[in-house]
Amino acid sequence: MALAVIAYIVAAWMVAPGFYDGFGPQQPYNWTCPPPQAGANQKPTSGHVDIKVIGGVSDANSAFTNDAQIVLGFLPGAFDATGKTSISVDVTPLSTCPHPPGIMFVTNVYLVTASAPLVKPAHVVMLYSNLMAAPSAIYQAADPAGPWKSIGANRDAMPYTITTTTSSLGYFASGYLQTSAASGSLRVGGGQVLPIVVAILIVIVLLAGIPLAVLRRRRPSGEVEEDEDEAKS
Amino acid sequence: MVGAYVLCVEWARTLLATQPRVAIAALIVGGAALGLVAVGWPADRLGLGTSRFGLRIIGGLALGAVLLLPAAARSGAAPILPAGLAMAAVAVSVGEELAFRGALYAALDELGGAPLAIAGSTVLWTAAHALSHPPEFLGAVAAAGLLLAVWRWACRDLVAPVIGHVIADLAL
Repeated sequence: MALAVIAYIVAAWMVAPGFYDGFGPQQPYNWTCPPPQAGANQKPTSGHVDIKVIGGVSDANSAFTNDAQIVLGFLPGAFDATGKTSISVDVTPLSTCPHPPGIMFVTNVYLVTASAPLVKPAHVVMLYSNLMAAPSAIYQAADPAGPWKSIGANRDAMPYTITTTTSSLGYFASGYLQTSAASGSLRVGGGQVLPIVVAILIVIVLLAGIPLAVLRRRRPSGEVEEDEDEAKS
Repeated sequence: MVGAYVLCVEWARTLLATQPRVAIAALIVGGAALGLVAVGWPADRLGLGTSRFGLRIIGGLALGAVLLLPAAARSGAAPILPAGLAMAAVAVSVGEELAFRGALYAALDELGGAPLAIAGSTVLWTAAHALSHPPEFLGAVAAAGLLLAVWRWACRDLVAPVIGHVIADLAL
């Protein structure tokens, strides 16, 4: 039984967190390339915003697609607004679905462009579907062919959203490393405590299971098991 | 025969559950249809019973903790299931346990003993989830099925797998 516990922990740890039993509330998502288990699908939408420049400083504003699958929040002065009266930001879903080596994207890829360079970090929020594994990070690239780099993820995001900050615009997608799906690991004092937690759980299962197994199997030949007695009585 | 019926029910409820209007009904009816497989089997053959009930419950809680650990250790936030889906989760969990580790296990145990029962119920359990899970998850699904089947064999108990499965499905 301990081996079965270890096998499960290892197998479940090799995939991204959030594996489910197929009944969870389906999070609506408009796919560029819908997975086989998705039902009817609508194509993802794009978005556009014109950010005012007031007194030479770009205003606070957000750029998002009409289906709100990606939202970028900009602070006042987020753009270099030299010589401009407004800054236009466009968010467009890529019409293809890149598969960079070692990374599994679980969302569409979006291209975010602006008419002025970003000079302050912008907040990025991406929605994802529970038809796929939960992403562990948002990835960014200057070209959809790559290279893609992780720009991290905040741990306190709402369900089915992943958030982070970015210091530049470009292509964005959420996903996880196929070789290591962890979106965070338990660490205490610089060392992983997972083995300790696993060991404790194995002990709990054994403590619960061994007495039950022994009690139910330790009976002389010919003696009827208690439940069988109950069934016959 | 039992295996074919269980597979058909699982795949049918998975396909129906992709339609939002009938999802909850499909899950609840699917869970009940799975549970029907256990009708006619003596409770003790299914691993059900009230003896050492406290140990069975503790075992179920422990199994639930193990099933949840890999996700709980890495997820920053967990979705909260609406009441309807929570009911569906319970129905599916109980139905699946009665079908896979209950009736199917008992039938395979009669046919070829514990090795066939453990291996066969795990293989069919994994196949049953092939439509509802992305391929990369099936290893974890198989390992979960193996763990529950090994418990069923070692403890001759289905109560703990039912409890563990319900806890895991409500949280995952």
